[in-house]
Amino acid sequence: MSEIHHDHNEHQHDEAELAAKKAARPKIEKNQANHWLSIDQYMQDPEFQKTVDAEFMSSPLREEDAKNPWARREFLKLMGASMALSTASCIRRPVQKIVPYNKQPEEVTFGVPNFYTSTFFDGQESLGVLIKTREGRPVKLESLTNNPLNQGGTSVRAQAHILSLYDLDRLTAPKKNLFNDKRTNKDTISVTWENADTAIVDALKKGGVYVLTGNLVSPSTQAVVKDFSEGFKATHVAWEVMANDDVRKGQKASYGTDLLPFYRFDKSKMTVSIDADFLGTWIAPTVFTKQFSKTRKDFANMSRLIAFDSNYSLTGGNADVRVRIKPSQQLKVAVALAQELIVKQGKSTYAGNSDVKNWLNSFGNPSEGLNIEPALLKEIAKDLWDAKGESLVVAGGLKTQTETSLALQVVVNLLNSALENDGKTVQHRRSVTSGASNADMTSLVDAMKNKKVKTLIIHGINPAYALPAKADFLEQLKNVETVVYIGDRMNETAMWANYVLPENHSMENWGDAELVTGVYAIQQPAIKPMYDTQSMQITLMNWCFQAKVGPKRIQEFESYYDYLRNFWKTEIFPKHGKGSSFDKNWQDLLQTGSIGDVDGSDSARSFSVSGLTDLKKPTVTEGWEIVLYPTLQLGDGMGSQANIGWIHELPDPITKAVWDNYASISIAAADKLKVKEGSLIEITVGKDKMELPVLIQPGLQDDVIAIAVGYGRTYVGSVGNGIGKNSYELVQTNDKGQILYSGTKADVKVTGKKYEIAHTQTHHSMEGRQIVVEATLKEYQTKKDHIIHKHPIWSVWSGHAYNGHKWGMAIDLNSCTGCSACMTACQSENNIPVVGKKYVMQGREMHWIRIDRYYTGNPTDAHAVFQPIMCQHCDNAPCETVCPVLATVHSSEGLNEMVYNRCVGTRYCSNNCPYKVRRFNWFNYAKKITSPGNMALNPDVGVRVRGVMEKCTFCVQRIKEGKNNAKLANRPLKDGEIKTACQTSCPTDAIVFGDMNDADSQVSKLFKNERSYALLEEWHAAPAVRYQAKIRNNGKDQIASAAHEGGH
Amino acid sequence: MSIFFKKLEVKRALKAFVSLCFLGSLVGLTSLIIGCKFQPDWGYNTGHSPEQPIPYSHELHVGKLGMQCQYCHNQVERSKHANIPTLQTCMNCHMQVKTDSPHIQKMREAYDAGNSIEWVRVHMLPDHVQFNHSAHISKGVNCQTCHGPIETMAVVSQQADMSMGFCINCHRQEENKASLNCTTCHH
Repeated sequence: MSEIHHDHNEHQHDEAELAAKKAARPKIEKNQANHWLSIDQYMQDPEFQKTVDAEFMSSPLREEDAKNPWARREFLKLMGASMALSTASCIRRPVQKIVPYNKQPEEVTFGVPNFYTSTFFDGQESLGVLIKTREGRPVKLESLTNNPLNQGGTSVRAQAHILSLYDLDRLTAPKKNLFNDKRTNKDTISVTWENADTAIVDALKKGGVYVLTGNLVSPSTQAVVKDFSEGFKATHVAWEVMANDDVRKGQKASYGTDLLPFYRFDKSKMTVSIDADFLGTWIAPTVFTKQFSKTRKDFANMSRLIAFDSNYSLTGGNADVRVRIKPSQQLKVAVALAQELIVKQGKSTYAGNSDVKNWLNSFGNPSEGLNIEPALLKEIAKDLWDAKGESLVVAGGLKTQTETSLALQVVVNLLNSALENDGKTVQHRRSVTSGASNADMTSLVDAMKNKKVKTLIIHGINPAYALPAKADFLEQLKNVETVVYIGDRMNETAMWANYVLPENHSMENWGDAELVTGVYAIQQPAIKPMYDTQSMQITLMNWCFQAKVGPKRIQEFESYYDYLRNFWKTEIFPKHGKGSSFDKNWQDLLQTGSIGDVDGSDSARSFSVSGLTDLKKPTVTEGWEIVLYPTLQLGDGMGSQANIGWIHELPDPITKAVWDNYASISIAAADKLKVKEGSLIEITVGKDKMELPVLIQPGLQDDVIAIAVGYGRTYVGSVGNGIGKNSYELVQTNDKGQILYSGTKADVKVTGKKYEIAHTQTHHSMEGRQIVVEATLKEYQTKKDHIIHKHPIWSVWSGHAYNGHKWGMAIDLNSCTGCSACMTACQSENNIPVVGKKYVMQGREMHWIRIDRYYTGNPTDAHAVFQPIMCQHCDNAPCETVCPVLATVHSSEGLNEMVYNRCVGTRYCSNNCPYKVRRFNWFNYAKKITSPGNMALNPDVGVRVRGVMEKCTFCVQRIKEGKNNAKLANRPLKDGEIKTACQTSCPTDAIVFGDMNDADSQVSKLFKNERSYALLEEWHAAPAVRYQAKIRNNGKDQIASAAHEGGH
Repeated sequence: MSIFFKKLEVKRALKAFVSLCFLGSLVGLTSLIIGCKFQPDWGYNTGHSPEQPIPYSHELHVGKLGMQCQYCHNQVERSKHANIPTLQTCMNCHMQVKTDSPHIQKMREAYDAGNSIEWVRVHMLPDHVQFNHSAHISKGVNCQTCHGPIETMAVVSQQADMSMGFCINCHRQEENKASLNCTTCHH
């Protein structure tokens, strides 16, 4: 009796406790749903509120909890039952089905990848690539070494391109937007291709047709658009943010031809860049990086790069001498150089030309106010002249889109002509991304204003996002009767189109590319279209066919593939093919991926001196100046790349910030404003205002506010929406309709508010240790291996015996430009999750390879050095000795192995790792991967679960594959046969992987190189990764502050 | 007094409970150890032989008719997977052979309709293991070493337990010159 009574008491007590606990739970404020997780929550669904109140959605206690206090006992009972059940039925895990093919596709072998030569193009850069497919689905982009331009090099965006194929936010079927009369509101409905085609053909027949595209790199697509324009009497307009039409206008003014030339950095021994970020974002950065790195490997003939930099660009970071300037000084720099060379030193054929002399002298002393010592200017001019015909002066990019951009280009042309570079390092071939123009866009907006445009077909680009409101594009779009958008998603522009037609992803589509004049590449599809999409080309062809207009070829072919083949048969192979057999040429093309080469030089053109006189001179500006720059990872940001997690999580190569844009200002500027990192400032340019957090950037000119473009997307998808601010809103136009990205005057107000920027690297000092070894060329040539401080080493370890292979990796810091393609390649190869801004701030980013960027020298004029760091696979690995469960052990081939199955997540190994390369799965990131994103996973590598440690494996799956291939072919493994993912992606060939037990292997030789050293060698962890010291060809005797200060 | 008594009782009950727990865990542990000792395939799938949508007999095709394994599993020498044959492979013979069988007719229907047959997987490795058939076949390991006397099986059943111990036993034999590194299988 008493027992029952006792229980009853407990019962009451439980109830009271439960009520108290419930009362203590944080309440959801019903009317303040500022941050919401799902649409249900936002709409305050009562059902959803119930689940929120119940705290644990999946708890077995949930239902019982409220009405029955016996829940806990019930739970135990349930537990007992399920334990009994599980012991009785644990024989078999979930049933898996095997579904074989109906008929065997000829080329598919399960578990063995197929590779297709193809081309990557994102509006800015075109690269030859190999698409790796497994069982018919693309899983990675690999390097295609026989492409004559990028020669195997890839970029961050090329590596991340695979995720845009499997993007959840892609359009899967055609859509129609219904608008109200004033086009202020809309409703999106589905439409069939047939209905859309009929309606659009009717509209097209009315005339007034305009086609607006981005850069069209594909010659056959250009032909389709041309045929279509012919048929419908349409006008074709091409526009890109990075149109580079300043260079083209400059070429026209100086030489009479509208041309975006092809630059040959591989032939230049002395390069001067005035804000042209050719290693990061300008024209064809991957191709240029490849070219540039080739001139840096032979120290007897090492090239020199001088960069005048108004933000801290990658080109500035890799320059031998970097000079900080502001945009209004760009022209002064160019004129100062020309004056020094032609007037003061009296060099070149233009020295006697009084027109040139007078014009240059009309600037007075242009180097006044510049941060350049006269001696340096003299030296640069002398070096340029000494290397005449093998030097190069370049300027361009968004940073040079100022009032004086044309003058800058003309002076640069004058310099190149004076230095006899024209035709040699400036080749007269059309570059990858020419065609687009801002002026054409302005005339299109005018045509829309005058109601000349009845039907506008927009392909791919996103002017509603990337043009400032002042450019009036969106407003005038309302005057167009029928707007058709052909693209992959409902973005800022597509949402104002009447018809939105989904386009095939480039990996689902045939295509081609004219990389530069005379070099053609093929784009092969690697997967069948996943959704109800079709290529832009066949869409245009269909309309011509239905309306029975246009040349015969656009009407007669049933697919774009047939059109493309015919185009190559009639247009390209007759000029560039070998022999007369089309089939042979076609097969060769599919095998190699491209035809043509870039060798040969052109004869110099005559520079038109008369073009100089009517150039605008710089107005002296004081105070803040805006610099808008594209980032290497995001580019102009108007395409699908803005919805890729890998791209946002990739740290900016210089600032190492992720998931944001910000206003970079110099240290002195921050002191002047009395702001700290993350302080919000309000920037006013003209009538535009924008609030941005401050990022203090060493090496900036003190008047500069540098802001990245490409952020602040609102309609790109679930990943990319609302990241950073759209800095295109700060773009100004002048009275001539010129679009000014940089050099505009700004006002700054400190708001007093704070914002947190996420960095992956907050510590920029080497603490006096020998981490990056850097020497000047002179120092290296005199001291040789004495540039590296050697430590006496003794060991308590007996060492491992490696009887078979012993894997090692050599990384040449002198080649590495910090472009970060390796990081994204590794992410793609090894199924590395993206964690988001919040967790990066907590230091939980998952990259297996990172690129550390250190500053050296005076903070106001700091130099950057880059160092890729991954697991060092130490022989005496500190992580191995502390793992309590032997989850990280040493292999007989020198690999430091990480066994996920054994790992219990103590994280001791990470604590004990001196290189901090181990990454812990704090959450079940893999569970976040939804279909179709899971198709991008590499099936040869497992996905890791919560609670296990992971790190670089030296791509052990590739080692296994290489060894197995050799074994199956019954031959020894060749050196260089196994390449890691980071190695293949690298455009500078900075990473070499191989067998150290093979004395003739490339890696063995590099290990014996006199520039070779290991990280923290004095600790004798004996890493299997060795670095080769960076050499700076700056003419100085010593690197200012890179001297090794640490003791033993 | 009564309070004191109650306290004592609680103490005694607690003592009894603790010793019971101890005893219980001892019994549990012992049975676990004994279980592992005498039933080493606990938790593995040895003997698993699920019913298949079509009762294909290895005994008939391999044992009696003497067909080569690689006729159907034709990619096994160049891939990590021993592929299940396509329907086309089956139809190579069954266009003519035993066309009156309802099972063959079922397959033929699927073949003509462009569909497939959903076979139930028999051999399954534990999670997080990578296994490469071609590497083993090229070393001359027989199919039967892991799959048992497959030529006698009318219904395929799993013979080996496919445990790590099973793999390691072979890899440890010096004459096999096999790797014992963890990443040989786990990555």
